[in-house]
Amino acid sequence: MGKFIVQRVLAALVTIWIATIAVTILIHLVPGDPVRIMYGSFQTTPEELEAIRVRLGLDQPIWQQYFMYIGRLLQGDLGNSIVGDQPVLDILLTRFPATLALTISSLAIAIVVGMSLGFLAAYKRGTWVDVSSMVLAIVGVSMPHFWLGLLLLFLFALQLQWLPVAGGDWRSLILPAMTLGLANAAVLARLTRSAMIDIFDQDFVRTARAKGLPKSIVLYRHALRSGLVPVVSMLGLQFAYLMGGAIVVENVFAWNGVGRLAIEAVFARDYPLIQGFILFFATIVALASVVIDVAYAFLDPRIRYS
Amino acid sequence: MVHGSSTAELADNLATTGAARNRSFWRALLASPSGLIGLFVVGLLIFCAIAAPVIAPYDPLRMAAGPRLDPPSMGYIMGTDDFGRDVFSRILYGARLTLQIGVIAVGISLTCGLLLGLVAGYSSGWTERVLMRLVDVLFSFTEIVIALACLAIFGVGLTNAMIAIGIASIPFYARVTHSVVLVEKGKPYFEAAVAAGAGHARLIFIHLLPNVVPTLIVIGTLGVSTAVLAAAGLSFLGLGAQPPQPEWGFMLSSSRDLISRAPWMMIFPGLAIAVTVLGFNLLGDGIREALDPRQRQR
Repeated sequence: MGKFIVQRVLAALVTIWIATIAVTILIHLVPGDPVRIMYGSFQTTPEELEAIRVRLGLDQPIWQQYFMYIGRLLQGDLGNSIVGDQPVLDILLTRFPATLALTISSLAIAIVVGMSLGFLAAYKRGTWVDVSSMVLAIVGVSMPHFWLGLLLLFLFALQLQWLPVAGGDWRSLILPAMTLGLANAAVLARLTRSAMIDIFDQDFVRTARAKGLPKSIVLYRHALRSGLVPVVSMLGLQFAYLMGGAIVVENVFAWNGVGRLAIEAVFARDYPLIQGFILFFATIVALASVVIDVAYAFLDPRIRYS
Repeated sequence: MVHGSSTAELADNLATTGAARNRSFWRALLASPSGLIGLFVVGLLIFCAIAAPVIAPYDPLRMAAGPRLDPPSMGYIMGTDDFGRDVFSRILYGARLTLQIGVIAVGISLTCGLLLGLVAGYSSGWTERVLMRLVDVLFSFTEIVIALACLAIFGVGLTNAMIAIGIASIPFYARVTHSVVLVEKGKPYFEAAVAAGAGHARLIFIHLLPNVVPTLIVIGTLGVSTAVLAAAGLSFLGLGAQPPQPEWGFMLSSSRDLISRAPWMMIFPGLAIAVTVLGFNLLGDGIREALDPRQRQR
């Protein structure tokens, strides 16, 4: 188990390391002068632009810039944003709790709705329950997050007025979490159905039934536990997708997380903030994936010994 | 001479088998409900894109084609927007942009992903390890973040968004190609070709490539739906299509402040995106079933 954890942590560190290289290169791939693009609208003289270039280290060779970036990074310094001139890390950390709340609550919705629907469809395979669940799931997969969000907003906030349109409290979290959660529930429902159908056809389930075990024990203790293994293995990837989906959903509901911040940064061509966001995102996704993989290895011994 | 005629017979047989296989593929595709519905929706989309100038009642960009924010009626079946433009005409013309997005984005990701996956899967050793590790890392960044990074580099706009989405999906296609190549490399026909002394190019392009293509057709079709969704998402955020382009995601975005006054501005473009994505998803599922009869049992 120890070796497995070390391997997973090393893989996460490699991901973060590649992300540092990617964000350093990013600014050099911008066609034209990145300093002029970033500060062009600030009425700056050529001398001031040159001073900024020196301050950002952009006059140095790229490898030197990379080491400077790593050096600052190890001290927790991601540079300052162009708009507002604030430390990037502070901005990201202030906005991250909102994104985390959205991602975790939508993951919970996706798991509860998606797995139940998939399990039910597999159990009632070939019946109208199966067909309608899967029709619902494929419609869910095809529905754009932002459209589902607007429809929910229209129905629950504007027509029925049950929930607020925007805000920062837990009630305003319900609609964005439902939007993101339901869209991903459709993916999980299809996965769960397929995994459960494989399990229901296995000999051990047939044997358990033949032994005369009560249906609930066969279903929940034997079939469900094994059937969920491949689905749980996908949760790490699901978390990454939810974090990505949050970027769009936060913008629909004016939810003040890092996703909304990222879009503002792309519009403002605020490169230090964009670089910080990509690195931050990659780190969070890599760490979450380590935690989920390790938890999964605890559940399924085959993983840690393979 | 005898050798020549048997070769000709063999070629003839192979061609017949190929044609028979084609017929059975189409029969299987049309027999599956998802394939049939998918084919119909995608066909309808292509028809709308081609026939837009003929069937659209108004110029999609013409302001004040009708009254502002007019609800759906006989004159404007999907209503008008805040500039008095006909929503139905804009949706018809939007089909052109949507198809363009699908073809360009999937074309980029499929070509680059196929090459990367083929090289990594065929070469094995260090090249494979480094390439696939890189692909795994990019994959974990998620497509939207890679697309945002690309847009931060190129700047916003629909063409840049298509390219960004194409680049962002390369890791996915590379991964799938790589895994198919690994499976094919273990099969007896490939080992026989290696034993017979076939060169690298022959092994890759004559033996591996044709066997990778069926899987790529399936994921390419499903990929169009992902690309359409992603492009609509970027346009919705203001990073893709710009005014006055009749792009569906952008149309949805401009409906946001008018949802309670003119819900039709939000309903129809959203429906167009969802039906298109659904169509490509169903078609992809149908092709998969038709190519792999075991899937039909499910």
